[in-house]
Amino acid sequence: MATVVELPVVPPPLPVGWTAPAGSGKPISSLVERRLLPAGPAYLAHVRRAVHNLTFEQHDK
Amino acid sequence: MAPQPNGTADAPIEVSSIPTVVGINFGNSYASIAVLTKEGSADCIANEDGERQIACAIAFQGEEMYIGNQAKHQLVKNSQNTITGFRNLLGKKFSEIPANKLSVKDSPGSTDAPAHYSVQHPAASHAATPRSEPIPAERVLTVSEVTSIFLKSLIQSAEAFLGKQVQGAVITAPSWFDQAQKDALEKAAVDAGITVLQLLEEAGAAAVATTTGPQPEELPLDRTQLLVDLGASALSLSLLSIREGLAYSLATREDHTVGGDAIDDKLIKFFAKEFTKKTKTPLVVSPATDAQDKRAEAKLRLAVEHTKRTLSASPGAATCSVESLKDGLDFTGTITRLRFDMEVRSIYDRIYSQVQELVADAGLDLYDVDEIVYVGGSASLPGLDEALAQGFAESVVTPFTSGTVVGGGVGDPTTILARGCALQAKILATLAEGTEEEREVKASFTHGHQYTRAKATSKTIGILFPEENAGEGSLDGQWIPVVLRETPVPARRTVAFDVDLGEGEGEKKVGFEVWEAKEGIKMEKVKPPKDEEEEEVPADDSEEPEEEEEDIEVKERTVEKENLLTSLVFTAKEGKKTQGRWTTKVEVQFVVRENGAVEISAREVGKSGKGEKTVVRVPTA
Ligand SMILES: Nc1ncnc2c1ncn2[C@@H]1O[C@H](COP(=O)(O)OP(=O)(O)OP(=O)(O)O)[C@@H](O)[C@H]1O
Ligand SMILES: [Mg+2]
Repeated sequence: MATVVELPVVPPPLPVGWTAPAGSGKPISSLVERRLLPAGPAYLAHVRRAVHNLTFEQHDK
Repeated sequence: MAPQPNGTADAPIEVSSIPTVVGINFGNSYASIAVLTKEGSADCIANEDGERQIACAIAFQGEEMYIGNQAKHQLVKNSQNTITGFRNLLGKKFSEIPANKLSVKDSPGSTDAPAHYSVQHPAASHAATPRSEPIPAERVLTVSEVTSIFLKSLIQSAEAFLGKQVQGAVITAPSWFDQAQKDALEKAAVDAGITVLQLLEEAGAAAVATTTGPQPEELPLDRTQLLVDLGASALSLSLLSIREGLAYSLATREDHTVGGDAIDDKLIKFFAKEFTKKTKTPLVVSPATDAQDKRAEAKLRLAVEHTKRTLSASPGAATCSVESLKDGLDFTGTITRLRFDMEVRSIYDRIYSQVQELVADAGLDLYDVDEIVYVGGSASLPGLDEALAQGFAESVVTPFTSGTVVGGGVGDPTTILARGCALQAKILATLAEGTEEEREVKASFTHGHQYTRAKATSKTIGILFPEENAGEGSLDGQWIPVVLRETPVPARRTVAFDVDLGEGEGEKKVGFEVWEAKEGIKMEKVKPPKDEEEEEVPADDSEEPEEEEEDIEVKERTVEKENLLTSLVFTAKEGKKTQGRWTTKVEVQFVVRENGAVEISAREVGKSGKGEKTVVRVPTA
């Protein structure tokens, strides 16, 4: 299951007249290549999702 | 199977839910063994001699063979038949071994032959041997054979403890081992009859140990961890990105000039001086040239082991005692922690500067480090933590500040690697191998497997709740980071919190912007708070000339909005009114796909359960 992190913050109400702005249309910055340490339950879950081609929801089940 | 007189020879395959597997930390100087507990954690065990840190040493004396700390003690009188420091020589040829490794005997043949030792070890004579038939005494052992003998003894200790046959082991390998060295280590273990579940990089073992089980509450699941491994012969540093248990190195560094051996050098010099002062007998050590001094140095080296452990364990003074150190004179000296820290100050300083360079190599600042983890025997010294901690943010979590080092706690640097290996062994022992996919999953734990390659985010993405007149430096609202930079993808993060909906009645909306942020560190020079200073430094100010008060550097993490990705808004239906204000609980989820596309969803969590999701997307390039 997804870990839900409870945060001790209470964001303020929306300013009067605020309208949701459109995004820049740009994607997130380029991803970088890294080498995972093949260890621990999180790595196992990561590989399982990749090998069985599962989304997070499918893997939760 | 018929019961055998001395218990059963074969271990039953599945006796309980806990697999009979072990973790082995195989250092160049010391090894340790961990087993799984009923509670699901891992514990280091002691061998038959009651040692948890088992010296990687084998000695031959007459027909006897000693292994571990007993063998190490033979270094004084029987050094030519005592083998130490063999782990680092695995997979090496004669030609590759530094000349100062004198314990390796010269090769009779080519320098390309695998390194070996030759020792005096007459075979045990069972029957009375006729005098005329000499017993061959010279025994030639390759580094690999020595390793096999040693690893086998570790497994035997574990089996004696468990009362069962060990079914598999995860063994540490230093990150700098090349493929030939790893192959040699694996072969030596297999030759010892061990089922090697995985050779695990030391940083991996530490990551598993520190992300499994209860952790300090103040540590987030996504964090930057500094690993400081100070062994006997080297310092090894890793800066790890840990993201919900998934870990990788941002930077690594090795330094072979500092470690326990270098600490010993300082300490034995200190005690040798003391000895000379007390007895008027000259003693020159590290290096010693005179044969007598050499032997005295070997004795001191063994003795300071105890001194160091006492210094780590308790704040009082520690002693060093050697019988007949030189010229038949006994020696007992003491050293306080304060004095010790002074003697080894240059080593701590060196480590600190290496840490600074490591963090700079990763493009980060010491203030970006959330946690320091200490590994290795020499990292048990509290003075090291004190020396390092000053450069980090006050919030940095170390096992010394959390109090988990004492009494063999979870932060004990001498047991982390073995425990991490045992926990990893548990995972591997339960993996199925029935289908091709399952076998592929299992194979992904081998070194350099394609699944270890991953893409990660390079900037933090999060949400911003706009706010009027939010004030300077506030990003015009409330910022909540959700997926941190250096998070492997695919990634999913879910956060939940209450949102203020204001006082008014009528329709209420929840809305936020999704940004990619630029993070940094701001440094400011500020005057030290005057009043306090004066209170802390009483009367004797007047005696010394007033020193010009130096500005103190204050560092702070900074965040700037960089790229507005999208925004999301929905109508709140589950608001509750308390003390005149409406609030509602909101859950926001980010999923970053492998191609960099992001899906952001938000919903209310109210009395009637989880509400409808509102979803927005950031496409990939
Ligand atoms: N409690 C302690 N306090 C201080 N020093 C200690 C303590 N326990 C062990 N040491 C020292 O730590 C060193 C051994 O550390 P460790 O077992 O991590 O080394 P290793 O991994 O085998 O060797 P290396 O990493 O150098 O190859 C020795 O110098 C030993 O004297
Ligand atoms: Mg080590």
